[in-house]
Amino acid sequence: MERQLNSRLYEDQSKLLGVQSQDGRQAEAFTKAFLKNSLPSLSQESIRQFMDRKAVVLEFAKKKKEKQKRKRAKGLNAKQRREMKVFQLKEEHQRYELFLPLHELWKQYIRDLCNGLKSGSNPQIIQQKLLKADFHGAIITVVRSKCPSYVGTTGILVQEMKHVFKIITKENKLKVIPKRNSVFGVEIDGFVTHIYGSKFQLRSSERSAKKFKVKGTIDL
Amino acid sequence: AYNPTMAGNIKDKEAFQRLNFLYQAAHCVLAQNPENVELARFYCYTQRTISKRLVLRQDPSVKRTMCKKCYSLLVPGVTATVRQRKSRKRECRTLVRCLSCGQTRRFLNDPEHHLWVDQPEAQLENQTQTEQGPS
Repeated sequence: MERQLNSRLYEDQSKLLGVQSQDGRQAEAFTKAFLKNSLPSLSQESIRQFMDRKAVVLEFAKKKKEKQKRKRAKGLNAKQRREMKVFQLKEEHQRYELFLPLHELWKQYIRDLCNGLKSGSNPQIIQQKLLKADFHGAIITVVRSKCPSYVGTTGILVQEMKHVFKIITKENKLKVIPKRNSVFGVEIDGFVTHIYGSKFQLRSSERSAKKFKVKGTIDL
Repeated sequence: AYNPTMAGNIKDKEAFQRLNFLYQAAHCVLAQNPENVELARFYCYTQRTISKRLVLRQDPSVKRTMCKKCYSLLVPGVTATVRQRKSRKRECRTLVRCLSCGQTRRFLNDPEHHLWVDQPEAQLENQTQTEQGPS
């Protein structure tokens, strides 16, 4: 077998195949180079030892694995959010009594925030704190508004959007009241504050970071 | 459940109170009506944006109960499924799957592993002590 491999090709065969056989030394150099190329992990010496004993699979050179790029951004984009209706409340959940515990929680939160609302506490400081406080769960009333039909609506504030308050009234109705051009009253333990909606046109999360500036007057 | 505020660190106390309130409110809404995912999600979303805006760090135990994709509050059995599963490397993992968007999170459960926040050095009181000691 080996002899056959090492032997030169006959002349007619080489013509037929279109291959010229090289002489011994060249052939050896070629095989060595070839083996070294296809077995990059072994040294010259070990290749020779290896060849003495074992059959070699020539397509051995390891291909480097390309690392798959990880997908970034797990979040939803705006379109998907709209399709999923991420923040839209369903109608069957709109019941007033379901939100009473939320109101209790909110009252507790405000008391905690202002260290207990006593008659002696400074109203200005409390209002400063309420400016950055959260109003989800508060009972709010529309005190004044440019549109007279909004005036007098009372309910638990459920969602605060940028330009709109969503309120659940006692009749289990979700009312959407624009902040613009209306004044809201919030009552906690006998302490009443007024929110001027025109100045409050922010997302509730942005309000905690924003500085409020004195700007203009509100006439309503 | 939030980072311990030191006696001197009252700077963002109100914001932390607000975060706390929002987190509790989300739980409260879900406790009243487990199907009202949207509102709880809204509260979690506001909580997250506040903490992002003011750069307030939240405890991992809080962050792990919110879905990263759709921001819903993950309560096992109500809005999320929690399963123990063996991974390829034979490590046991906790799989938390959000039921509304299908996003999964994997946590390795290794009894030897502790989060940095749970380690005693991470507490602020211990840190100041070690800093003052050598000097």
